[in-house]
Amino acid sequence: MSVTTKRGRVGRIALNVFAGFGFVYLFLPIAFIVAFSFNQPKGKFNIVWQKFTLENWTDPFSDTALTDAFVTSLQIAAVSTLIATFLGSMIAIALSRYRFRGSAAYNFLLVLPLTTPEIVLGSSLATLFLGQSVVDFGFATIVIAHAMFQVSFVALTVRARIRGFDWTLEQAAQDLGASPMRTFWKVTFPLILPGILAASLLAFALSLDDFIITFFNAGSTLTFPLRIFGASRVELPPQINVLATVILVVTVGIMAVGSVLGQRRRRRLGQTA
Amino acid sequence: MNTPKRGFSRRELLIRSGVVGAAGLSLPAILAACGGDDGGSGGGAGELLIENWPEYIDLTEGDVLGTIDRFIAASGVKTTYSEAYNDNLEYFAKIQPLLGTGKAIEPDIIMPTQWMAGRLRKLGWLEKLPTDKVPNAKNLEDAFKNPPSDPTGEYSLPWQSGIAGIAYNIDATGRELKSIADLFDPAFKGKIGMLTEMRDTVGLLLLGLGINPSNITSFDEAAGAFEQLEKAKSDGQIRAFTGNDYIDDLGLGNFAACIGWSGDVLQLGTDNPSVRFVVPEEGATLWWDTMVVPKGAKNVEAAAKFMDFVFDPVQAAQITAYVQYISPVKGVREEVAKIDAALADNPLLFPDDETKKRFFPFADLSDEVEAQFEEAFSGIIGA
Amino acid sequence: MTAPVVSRVRSLTGVSSERVGLLSLVLVGVALLSVGARWVSGPIALLVLVLAALVVVGWITLAVLGSPETKRALAPYGLLKPGSMWLALFYLAPLWTLLKSSLSAKKTRFDVFPTFSWEFSNYGKAFSDFGPQFGRAFLYAGIATLLTILIGYPIAYVIAFRGGKYRNILLGLVVIPFFTSYLIRTIAWTSILADSGPVVNILDSLSLTGVLESLNVMDNGKLINTPAAVIGGLTYNFLPFMILPIYVSLEKIDIRLVDAAQDLYSSAARAFRKVVVPLSIPGVFAGTLLTFIPAAGDFVNAQFLGNPNTTMIGNSIQDQFLRQNNYPVASAMSFVLMAIITVLVIVYSRFFGTDDLA
Repeated sequence: MSVTTKRGRVGRIALNVFAGFGFVYLFLPIAFIVAFSFNQPKGKFNIVWQKFTLENWTDPFSDTALTDAFVTSLQIAAVSTLIATFLGSMIAIALSRYRFRGSAAYNFLLVLPLTTPEIVLGSSLATLFLGQSVVDFGFATIVIAHAMFQVSFVALTVRARIRGFDWTLEQAAQDLGASPMRTFWKVTFPLILPGILAASLLAFALSLDDFIITFFNAGSTLTFPLRIFGASRVELPPQINVLATVILVVTVGIMAVGSVLGQRRRRRLGQTA
Repeated sequence: MNTPKRGFSRRELLIRSGVVGAAGLSLPAILAACGGDDGGSGGGAGELLIENWPEYIDLTEGDVLGTIDRFIAASGVKTTYSEAYNDNLEYFAKIQPLLGTGKAIEPDIIMPTQWMAGRLRKLGWLEKLPTDKVPNAKNLEDAFKNPPSDPTGEYSLPWQSGIAGIAYNIDATGRELKSIADLFDPAFKGKIGMLTEMRDTVGLLLLGLGINPSNITSFDEAAGAFEQLEKAKSDGQIRAFTGNDYIDDLGLGNFAACIGWSGDVLQLGTDNPSVRFVVPEEGATLWWDTMVVPKGAKNVEAAAKFMDFVFDPVQAAQITAYVQYISPVKGVREEVAKIDAALADNPLLFPDDETKKRFFPFADLSDEVEAQFEEAFSGIIGA
Repeated sequence: MTAPVVSRVRSLTGVSSERVGLLSLVLVGVALLSVGARWVSGPIALLVLVLAALVVVGWITLAVLGSPETKRALAPYGLLKPGSMWLALFYLAPLWTLLKSSLSAKKTRFDVFPTFSWEFSNYGKAFSDFGPQFGRAFLYAGIATLLTILIGYPIAYVIAFRGGKYRNILLGLVVIPFFTSYLIRTIAWTSILADSGPVVNILDSLSLTGVLESLNVMDNGKLINTPAAVIGGLTYNFLPFMILPIYVSLEKIDIRLVDAAQDLYSSAARAFRKVVVPLSIPGVFAGTLLTFIPAAGDFVNAQFLGNPNTTMIGNSIQDQFLRQNNYPVASAMSFVLMAIITVLVIVYSRFFGTDDLA
């Protein structure tokens, strides 16, 4: 699509430049976060640049409360992602593999939590937990809260991923003599596994970062975002930036590895990237 | 969507449902187990979990042991110190679902401000202090004995006391500030901070209007202060309502002036000479934070040991020298003089009787009146 | 062997196995909802749970003993059961308890549990005391959504039509910033927009401060703690939620359509307006929902970047819930927020005529 008029060319360049600025805008805070992880703040708030130091990186876990909260966040994310992946994948398989009565309504129900504002999700769960005494506010309630919105997310993501799955492969396998069970584990599951893994990775990231819903249901337990929020009134140590940068690099790394592996896999299976 | 010719085999279904059933049964168990080990340690005997305000104790720096470490060395009690207490009302909301239903919270000592301690006591959420185990309690300054929030003195022991006054950055204001009226100077529009602590903010405003906050008994008496506050807020005079987080903004000049707490500002002032604290001409509000033991705490004995330890003037002096607040312990002045002679003469740490006349503790409000105050205040601070 | 028996029973009762499966799913869901929402409690709740378990067992029996057709019909319901139980208990039941809490009142000031008493005054209070916060929330979220369209559409367009083989990398670049913590990202803006920070310094040296102050963007030399900063924060945080859906809908457009349009209209701009824009509407629609809804309920941006006059309804709900302990009014506000958003979404969908959100 080439427009060779001068106006068209100017328009094209202008658009590209605008998009370029857009990307700069997207990365500006990230640049600040990474940069300020090398800062040595004068006061307790890491907001104004003082001077460069590598200290924060050599000793990122010096703030024990922050590190504890980080570990708690990881634990919560692990448990809730496990639950959500399990429940959500089953839902996704049911919705894509079968045509059944009520699937449209179920689809709607699944989308609802994602269109409810987090503050409503958080406060409503809090009212649920307040009125009972089986579970106290803490680790368990946070896991439940996270898994709740993760289930919808995983279900919809996995479903989108396996939309193109050719279910006749299962028929073929069974025609060749494999039992339905064997078919599922040997044929279907490996092929939809990447979709499930991608969804659970995203769900894990969502849980690590969740603030609003956790805020209402945490009691005295501190997750990483909660600790930052609570502490932000007194201090903003550079260790926060260090940990955030680490999370960022690790996630990007996993994404890159995943995409490279995916490309290689597709090539191996004889499909074009 | 293609439907397969043959459905799941019976084995597959059984296994699937079995997995689901197992997960369903074991889930609560997993969650309960996980719930058991969230943060904090206050577990068995010989342990102690303290939750305090931030920057409120001398922590170990290099070779100099902080109070907590000295206590651990002296008593052998495994102590965990946490700075999780950020705001009285927020903390109360956190502990209410537990203490209100008869369950215990994890910390063995918490540090509510005296009015909150009074509320907790009235609700029956505090353990009586084993005063026989705290012999040093005899060192308590007379001024703090049997306050309205704890008439029998059996439920709380003060930790530190302080005043809320005007903190300002002379580089940002360009002049010295003396009076509460200075907070409303239009030149400082959008650069004024006030506290989320109702009694300090409203108390100072009342003093500015010539009303004594120690004698307030009804909401109507304070209506003028609330109007003034509302106007300042909607005019954009006030940049933010803060908890402890005014300190850095003050240092940077983001706040030209704010209502602040004496010790915090003095601590900052040692590093940053542009930051000053002044007791306004009209007066300042006095408050003190108290050590209380929540009901059902597991380590009441260890808590008593700690309280006894910090009421020793020698130990108390170390704390005061760092936090620069007013100590409730007798004989601290002499001990502080040994550490830092200048501090011993600081009237904000060791006020003489003349200065004390300008300190006004907020009146002890009845429940209904307190509710009115809190509602009006929260309506203004905009949350 | 037992299949004929089962089919005989079924033909007697005239119920297809699909209906049975659906029924079992609904029953189990309702059972858990009723326990969670506390429509039943104590021993009755236990009874309900036992009945639900029995339904599951019955379903398993039918599935195990039934013919392959039965199995196939019942299978999806079995897969859906655990997820449904979870959602019923932890999404639907809480909405009920929220509603109930919003109509309750505390008997004494420090009661833990408010008691249900048809207290409609909570709703009155929600509107009268917090009207401005509601208004601001929708205003800021609305402006932020518009800004995300203005900024995000060109980005999505460039990636979709000019990205070529770098498309996935570019998309990755859009998403990567959002793998840092939401809080930290917002706090980073306090650094960038700080009074002594780079942006203010640049604006000062370019003498733009006066202009911006008259536009109400800056306030007495401050860029942060202003409504503009809050809206800026909201725009930034929700930008990818606008870019990705628009990209998805643009990507589906066959480039030849645009070429053909240009041949017909002989102007890129008109081709864009007449062909590309209408086809990208579903993406914009989805993006709007994904941006506006969370932005309206947000309080983090207002907390860090705003001032006491820019508080949004999220701040108020959080304060009433977690500081003032006023669960009933907070629940009412929450419910009203959800109701208004639902109405807006329905009206919006009617207007746009699309309903495929996934």
